[in-house]
Amino acid sequence: MRLAIVGGRVFDPASGWDGQERDIYLADGRVVDFLPAVDQVINARGLAVTPAGLEIRSPVAGFGQNFLRLWGGLPSPAELGHTYALLGYTHVHEPCLTLPTANYVHQELAALPIVDTSASLAINLRDVDLWLQDPQKLADVGEAWAYLLESTRCLNLRVVEPFVKFRQDFYRYRALTEEVVVNRLLTIREQMRLPLTMEATPALLTLNLPVHPGLHLSGLGAALTDEALLDRALHLLATGLTADMGLLPPAPRPGFPSRPVQVDLGWFQPFDLLPELEPQVARRALRLAVQGKEWRLAFSVASLLSLPLSSFSQVFAWLGDAASRRRDWGDVQLEGTHSFTDWLRATRLLPAQYLGLTDRGHLQPGARGDVALYDLLGSDTWAKNCQRCRLLFKAGELVVHNYEVVQPHVAKATYYRRTQAVPNKLVADLCQYRSLRPENLQVRVQPHQHWQQVA
Amino acid sequence: MRIPLEARIESAVCPGCACLCDDIDVTVVDGRVYQAANICLWGASKVLGHKRFHPKKERRRLAQPLIRHRGRWQTVSVDAAIDRTAEILIKARQPVVYGLTNAGCGAQAAALQVARQAQARLEPADLAWKAPYYQSLKKYGVFWATLEVIRDEADTLVFWGANPLHSCPRHVVRYSIFARGRFTERGYDERRLAAVDIHRTELADLVELFLQVEPGQELSLLQEVLTATAAAGGAVSKKARRLAAMLQEAHYGVIFFGRGVSYGPTPELLDGLAGLTARLNEHTPFVLFPLSTDFNAVGLYHLLLRELGSPLAPDFGAGEVSFHAEPLRWTDVDALLVVGADPFWFLSAAEIQDLHERRVPVVALSPVANRTTGHAEVVLPVALAGVETPELAYRMDGLPLSLPALLPASLPSDQQLLQQLAAALGCSHRGMACV
Ligand code: SF4
Repeated sequence: MRLAIVGGRVFDPASGWDGQERDIYLADGRVVDFLPAVDQVINARGLAVTPAGLEIRSPVAGFGQNFLRLWGGLPSPAELGHTYALLGYTHVHEPCLTLPTANYVHQELAALPIVDTSASLAINLRDVDLWLQDPQKLADVGEAWAYLLESTRCLNLRVVEPFVKFRQDFYRYRALTEEVVVNRLLTIREQMRLPLTMEATPALLTLNLPVHPGLHLSGLGAALTDEALLDRALHLLATGLTADMGLLPPAPRPGFPSRPVQVDLGWFQPFDLLPELEPQVARRALRLAVQGKEWRLAFSVASLLSLPLSSFSQVFAWLGDAASRRRDWGDVQLEGTHSFTDWLRATRLLPAQYLGLTDRGHLQPGARGDVALYDLLGSDTWAKNCQRCRLLFKAGELVVHNYEVVQPHVAKATYYRRTQAVPNKLVADLCQYRSLRPENLQVRVQPHQHWQQVA
Repeated sequence: MRIPLEARIESAVCPGCACLCDDIDVTVVDGRVYQAANICLWGASKVLGHKRFHPKKERRRLAQPLIRHRGRWQTVSVDAAIDRTAEILIKARQPVVYGLTNAGCGAQAAALQVARQAQARLEPADLAWKAPYYQSLKKYGVFWATLEVIRDEADTLVFWGANPLHSCPRHVVRYSIFARGRFTERGYDERRLAAVDIHRTELADLVELFLQVEPGQELSLLQEVLTATAAAGGAVSKKARRLAAMLQEAHYGVIFFGRGVSYGPTPELLDGLAGLTARLNEHTPFVLFPLSTDFNAVGLYHLLLRELGSPLAPDFGAGEVSFHAEPLRWTDVDALLVVGADPFWFLSAAEIQDLHERRVPVVALSPVANRTTGHAEVVLPVALAGVETPELAYRMDGLPLSLPALLPASLPSDQQLLQQLAAALGCSHRGMACV
């Protein structure tokens, strides 16, 4: 199928196009330079033509998320897939998959229609603390993680607790500080060349983190527990570090439980699926998002429970429109706004780069034909543009037409990294702690699931 | 996939109960299970096809679809049995799709589709004690842990109306009483154990504190424990005080509750247990954990929550879906489709009599003859899920496991038949002939 999207105003931060009128050509599901003849012409006059979005931050398939549906907080997978498509997104990344929950997360991701999916393997440093203590064994750790990354079918590694601590006093002597951990992780990263994400914590932010290709800081917003940390985060971004963050609401969503919703997966702390909202932290997160637009900061919302998909355009308006900000946040002292292109960069280009999906997030020749077209209501009110997508192409196939999903069964795949690592003794040791045999820990390839390797 | 007649299958998953033990090594000879290592007697009954705890008594497998005509069984084709079932469901005003806790995820999803098409109510077999549990979570919040974490960390376990030795035998060695975990290396010697039941069970010989209560007295015991754990004083019996002290001294605790809670005022009991867990949780990790028995009960609630946003029984009868926490009244039912359950095992004589007198048609999908198939108008034999057909099921802590087929199947799976039924119902509603 050869397609021309003509007459639209194209916004593509990767190409430096900021609303210029140009034509985009798609052939066999990819963007091409030019086509002398096409099978179909899409008239995009009056529309903004952009790369499709990639969701990198909001957990949708993590273990325990289903409990949140008790409070009506999380839509069904079918609704999620449709709503993401209607917002112009074609990829959803689950940030938290663990070794025992790998099959669970992939089942949930498989249930999302339309959008492609991927996940981060969250590694529990407590499982490898003795190996981390011995510099001679770091290569083994990297090798084991590389193997687990592929066997759990994940895209990257994520360190949620960048330290080693034990709840049991008896093991206190085995604790490792953030500083030691970062040091060791960078050595492993250097040896294995695996993309590595570290969840930001207040202690981590105060460290002298080096700018390191392949090192990414995640969840910056929630870590801003005081003003000094906001300055620190901005400083780290200014040094060139890549990061992502989730925006938080100004106040808790009404009707949601004040009781905890926590899942214990054997980490130092249980995963808090409904963390208490601290208004000052939320304000700092907003300031970071606005002030960090110059740097490599990707964002989405922190949780679909506190900021549901239906409120995305309102959330993005906080970045692009000072009046919306004042309305929802009151007297927040904040200069600057995101332009439409800034927003596209943070929700398309940077997430794609972070996930290593080089053919996504831009419209240059060779990119996959994932294109979202929005009504162009005016560049100063761009947040309204992205309320709903007029047309969405996924790999050149029309998925949304006139604000409606027309192809709910479009092909979708789960992306994972091919490492070709072989299991070593550490893998055997790690599996030994599990309550499932290694064969049953591995992700089972269901016939209806389509997998796509990333090298 | 073709299953060879002779094979050695390692790390198979047992569909005997919600433990879904994944360390079963099976030897197949001549298309039959010759040997199954690591399996308990309960699981063996499923895999080897004998009666529970009676290895010498074989269970009678059903071979052909049957329709009862003027009181006599007639062998019919699968298509005819499906058509008759569709007819029954369409004619009914209040049809119910019942059971499903002993069915794989594929069958459960297909049954949900059938319930939608037939505008029926879908009733999980263990709704009586699971609905109040989920309602209590909604009120008190959730602290959940996987069995692996419980094995590794929990030093205090309470079994309330639950006897794992009967409902999920290997639970005690793999995850609870005797299990050795990463931080519980001495297993049994390192744990404090208590049990509350209306009967003296085998647990009485294993636990430090066994509280046998009169039927109907569980709630007052629980209230006394709540009082004892609260800062404010109040009259508390010695046994309640001992249990409360044990709970408060825990470093990591779990309250396993089982079907036994359905004898008491279940909503109040679950409310009390969840409230107690939440209170204990303010100081130390504590989990309230339903000890599901049927192999995929958890999968069913997972499906309902995920697809419909509620773990309660959905009723598609009124055009829009409504949800019920109360178990159904059998006197309201006018057609019953049973999958993965045997309700006639526990229905009272009066309830069965009433169903007979009102000529409520019963359709049973089952691999074996049981009390429900004995009362059914239509019987559809199915392959054994997780033994003869591959399935997916959720372990009691919510982790999904793939169950491979161990033996070749000569019968269709319940999932296939339910999908066929859903298609037949879809066609009938649109007035089309199904081809
Ligand atoms: S405990 Fe349950 S799953 Fe494990 S072998 Fe026995 S019946 Fe099977």
